[in-house]
Amino acid sequence: MLSPLEFRIISQLQKAKGGISAEQLASELQISKDTLYSTAENLSVLGYVELKKSSSKEAQITDEGKSYANAGLPETQLLRKISRKSMKVQELSDPVSRIGLQWGKSNGLLTIDGGMLNITAKGKEALSGGIAEEKVLTELGSSPQISGQFESKHKRELENLLKRKLITIKERSSLEISLTATGSEAASKGHLPSSQINSLNRSIIASKGWKGKEFEKYNVNLEVAKEIPAKAHPLRRMINQIKGSYVSMGFKEISGPIVIPAFWNFDTLFTPQDHPARETQDTFYLSNPQLLEITNKGVVAKVKAAHEEAWHSEWVENIAKQGVLRTQMTSVSIQELYNIAKYKEYKLPLKLFSTGRVFRNENIDYKHLTDFYQSDGIIIGENLTMANLFDTLTKIYGAIGIKIKFKPAYFPFVEPGAEVYGYHEQRKEWLEIAGCGILRREITGIARKSVTVLAWGSSVERLLLIKDPEIERLSDLYNNGVGWLRSKRLV
Amino acid sequence: MVNVLFNKKYLFSLLGFKLDDKKLESYIAKMGFEMESASATEIGIELPANRPDIVDIVGFARALRNFLHKGKKTKYEIKNSKPLLQIDVSKEVSQLRPFIAALAVEEMKFSEESLKHLLNFTEKFTSNYGRQRKKLAIGLHDLDKIIPPLEYGAIKDQEFAALGTSKKMKFSEILKKHEKGISYAHTISHPSLYPVVKDSDGVISLVPIINSARTKVTAATRNLLIEITGISKYDVERSADLFAAMFIDLGATIKKVKINYSGSSVILPKMESQKIEIPLLKIEGQIGVIIGFNNVISLANKMGYLAALVGRNIRFWIPTYRLDVLNEQDIIEDIAIAYGYDYIQPVPLFSEQIGELGESTKNSMKVSEIMVGMGFSEMMNSFLTSDDINFKKMRQEVDKEGSIRVKAAKVQQLTMLRTSLLPSLLRNLGMSVHEKMPQKIFELDYAFGLDKQVNERRCVAALFADPKANFNQAKAIVEGMLQSMGIEYKIRETLHNSFIEGRSANIILDGKVAGVFGEIHPEVLSNFGIEEPTVAFEISL
Repeated sequence: MLSPLEFRIISQLQKAKGGISAEQLASELQISKDTLYSTAENLSVLGYVELKKSSSKEAQITDEGKSYANAGLPETQLLRKISRKSMKVQELSDPVSRIGLQWGKSNGLLTIDGGMLNITAKGKEALSGGIAEEKVLTELGSSPQISGQFESKHKRELENLLKRKLITIKERSSLEISLTATGSEAASKGHLPSSQINSLNRSIIASKGWKGKEFEKYNVNLEVAKEIPAKAHPLRRMINQIKGSYVSMGFKEISGPIVIPAFWNFDTLFTPQDHPARETQDTFYLSNPQLLEITNKGVVAKVKAAHEEAWHSEWVENIAKQGVLRTQMTSVSIQELYNIAKYKEYKLPLKLFSTGRVFRNENIDYKHLTDFYQSDGIIIGENLTMANLFDTLTKIYGAIGIKIKFKPAYFPFVEPGAEVYGYHEQRKEWLEIAGCGILRREITGIARKSVTVLAWGSSVERLLLIKDPEIERLSDLYNNGVGWLRSKRLV
Repeated sequence: MVNVLFNKKYLFSLLGFKLDDKKLESYIAKMGFEMESASATEIGIELPANRPDIVDIVGFARALRNFLHKGKKTKYEIKNSKPLLQIDVSKEVSQLRPFIAALAVEEMKFSEESLKHLLNFTEKFTSNYGRQRKKLAIGLHDLDKIIPPLEYGAIKDQEFAALGTSKKMKFSEILKKHEKGISYAHTISHPSLYPVVKDSDGVISLVPIINSARTKVTAATRNLLIEITGISKYDVERSADLFAAMFIDLGATIKKVKINYSGSSVILPKMESQKIEIPLLKIEGQIGVIIGFNNVISLANKMGYLAALVGRNIRFWIPTYRLDVLNEQDIIEDIAIAYGYDYIQPVPLFSEQIGELGESTKNSMKVSEIMVGMGFSEMMNSFLTSDDINFKKMRQEVDKEGSIRVKAAKVQQLTMLRTSLLPSLLRNLGMSVHEKMPQKIFELDYAFGLDKQVNERRCVAALFADPKANFNQAKAIVEGMLQSMGIEYKIRETLHNSFIEGRSANIILDGKVAGVFGEIHPEVLSNFGIEEPTVAFEISL
C-alpha cells in the first residue's frame, strides 16, 4: 500500500506524461525538496519511478573577464599596441598594459631587449590567429553551459581562465523523475479508494465524517526531515549541572567582578609580586584603564605586611593596583572571605561557590583558549581538615558522575595543597580537573584568626571533556558552529 | 612547575643503590611528584617551583634516600667557623644590586657528569627561582686562581676577558654581543656603572651576566668560590645554605666567607636550622587522621626533618636547604604527603546550611528558558575582541576611551573587551551561512564599558536570520520575552548605525535606554559575510 504522499507523486507524474524535474514536481505538490527526494528514493526502490541524476557545469564570467571579452586579453591588447608603434617598457603606464606585459612575457609572446618591447614569432602567430583562451572566453560569453565534450577539448584554456580569475565554474546537479510501467499501472488503478480519509481536518472532526471510513496509512519507515530543536549551549548545561551539584550540597552561590586590580587576583592569594604567573605572558593586563582602585582599603596594609615578612622584599601598592582580567575564580572567593562580616547570621561552616569566566593570555589552539570557565568553592569554618575537603570534593564531582583522586601539588595560596584528577571512562585515563587545599594562614588570618578555609577551583571545560565523549577539542566549544550545535547530543 | 632530566647512573651513584623504573616511579609519586619519562639513561620529573633543593640532583637523591629511610645521618653544619676569605662590599653597588653571599668549597672531586649537573642546576636555579637572575645570580670560580682581597663593587665600563670568548670585550659590548649578555642585559639598571666581583688581579665576575675566563671551573678544579648576588639579603644568604648542603653531600669541605658591608658584617653560610614546635593535635587536626607521636616523627624523618617529642608538642628542625618552609602549615603538608593522600579517609562535614543560587543565575535561567522556548539556540563567545569586529564592521566609530583595552595579547587581534554581544553573534551567523535557514541564535553573557568606572553588563542578545525576517518579527520577539519576564517597558524609535534607519527602536526600562532592536543594516550583514535578511535585539538585564 502506498502512502498518500507517494500516491500524490505518482498521480502528478502521470498528469505530466514523461519526465519532470524534481524542483518542478516539489513546487507543484507544495512539498519541500528534501521530502520529495526521500519519498522518490523509496518509490524508485519499489520500482514505481525512475530517477535520472545528472549534473551540468556552467561558467560565469567575472567582471574582469567581461572587460576583456570584447577588447581582448591584456596581452593581445598590448601586442596590438606594439605592432602599431614600437614601445619602451617605461611607456607602459596603464594597469591593463602592465598585466599584458606580465602574461605576454611568461607565455613567450614578447621579449624585452634593452628596454624595448619585441614581439616574438609566437606573438606574431597570436596576433594573426588569436589566443586560445580568448576564443573560449568569447564562446562562454554566448553560451555558458560547459558540455563534457567542450570541457575535455578546452581543458587547458579553462584551467588558465580559472587561474586568472576571469571565470568561475558552478556545478549544478539535477534530478529528473519519470514513471515506470509499474508506476503507471499503480496510478491508473488508483490504489486509494475514495472511502479513505487523506488528511484529517476541522470539518471532518465536527461532522463526525470519519465514522465508517478508514484512514489512509502512512509508511512509518519513510525518511523525514528532522525537526531542529533549539538548545542551551553544551558548556552552559555543564555549568548548570555543577551549580546544581553545589546547591544540593548546601552551598550558596556568590559572584564577583571580571575586571579587577591584580590585588584580588594575586596579592591576596599570596603570590609574590615577582612571581612568573603574574607576567603578561600569562595574564591580560589592561592598558585602559591601567590602574584600578582597591575598594577594601582595610586589608591593604595587612597584605603588605604578610608579603614583606614572607618574601623579604618590598610590596608595592601600584603593582597591586594594575588592572587585570581575572585569571582565577579564587579572586571572587577571597573578596568574599575578606567581607565575611556580611554573613554574620550564618553558622559556621559557611559554604560558598562561584562559577564564571576567567582569562589567560594564550595563543588559541585546540586545547588552549583565552577565555574559559572555572568553578570555585570555599568552606570557612573551625577545625576543618583535609579529610573534610576530600569528602566534599568526592561528593560534588560524584554528583555529576565523575570519579576523582588526589595528588600532592604546590599552589602559592594553599598548604597542604592537592591536584584533583577525574577519571575519563572512554580514554581510561586520569585528567587534571581541579586544584585544592587549605588556604595559608597568612591569607586566612587577615579575615579572622580562628578559622580554617578549605578552597578549590576547577575548570568547567575539563569536566565537560570527561562527561561528553563527543567533545574532543576545547576549541569546538567556542567555535559555536550552528551545525555542530544543532546535531549535538545532550549529556 | 620545573621539569628536570636526571642521569640515572649518576643518580644511583649518589643514592648508593639502584632502583628499576617501576620502583622509581612509585617512590617519586609517593613523595608527591610525577615521573614523566624514563629512558635507558635518564628520567624526567616534574617538580614544584618552590623546591629548588630537589631540582638539584644531589638534593633529589638526598630527599629520596630520606624518604626510603636510607639516609646517611648527615649533619649539615660547618665545623670550622673561622672565615677563609673576606669580601668587601662597596657603597656604589648598594644602589644596583645590594647583596652578596659566598662560600668556599675545598677538596671537591668532580666527574664530567657531576660538573655538568652542577652547571645545569645553577642555570635552572637562577632562571626559575632567581627570576631570570633578577632576584638571584650565581658565580662559580676556581678558588686557586683567585688572589685576595675580594671586593663586590660597581665600576665603569672596561675591558674584560669573559668565559666563552677568545678576546677581551668591554662590558657594554658583552651586553650587546655575548650570548649571556644579550639574555640578561635587562638586569643592568644603571647607564654607566656595572656590578662586579673582583680580586687583586681584576674582575672575576660581571654580575649577573658572566664570569671571567681566568677563574673558570673545570672537572679538574678542586677548590671553589661560589658567590651569590641579589636584591634580597635573606634570599642570597639562604641560597648559600642550599649550595653548602649540596657540596657537603658531594663529600667536599665547606669554608666560611665573611661579607663586610659598610657598618656591618656577616659570616656565611650561616647553616642555622630553624625550630618549630607544633602540637600533635594540630597536625592530626589539619589532616583529619589519627597518626600518633611516633609515626609523625618517623614521617617527618622521611621528609628530611629531624623531629623530637617535647611535652605534647613535636619539635621539628627545618633542614637548612629547605627554602620553602614558611611556617607550620608547610610542615603539616609534608607530614600529609608522607602519610599519603590516598590513605586520608574522607570525613563528612556537618552543616545545616541550605544551598541557594545567586540572583543573577536565577534571572539568567529565566531568560534562557524563554529564549530557547522561542526557538533560539545558545552561543557562547569570547569576551575579547577587536576594534574591527566590535566597531568597524558594525558601522560604529571606534571608541578607545569608552572600552576596556588589554595589553600585549598573544593573539594580536584581541585588543579589547566587547562592548556589545551583537558583533559576536553576527560573526557566528557569518560562519554558519551554509546551514539551513531560518537560524535563530542568542547569547546571554557580559559586555563591558568604561565610563569613569568599569561597567560589566549582563546582556541578552539574539539574531533571527530568515528570507522574510522584518522589524515586526524583532518587535514580537522582544515583547514576547519582556512580557514573560514581567518587565514594564516602552519602545521608542531610534537611529543606530548598525540598523536600517526607520527600522530600529530602543527598549526603555525605568526611563532609561536599556536595549535596541530592529533590522540589521545590509552593509553590516555584508561585513560579516551574511546574505540573509537578519533582525536582532540586545538588552542589558
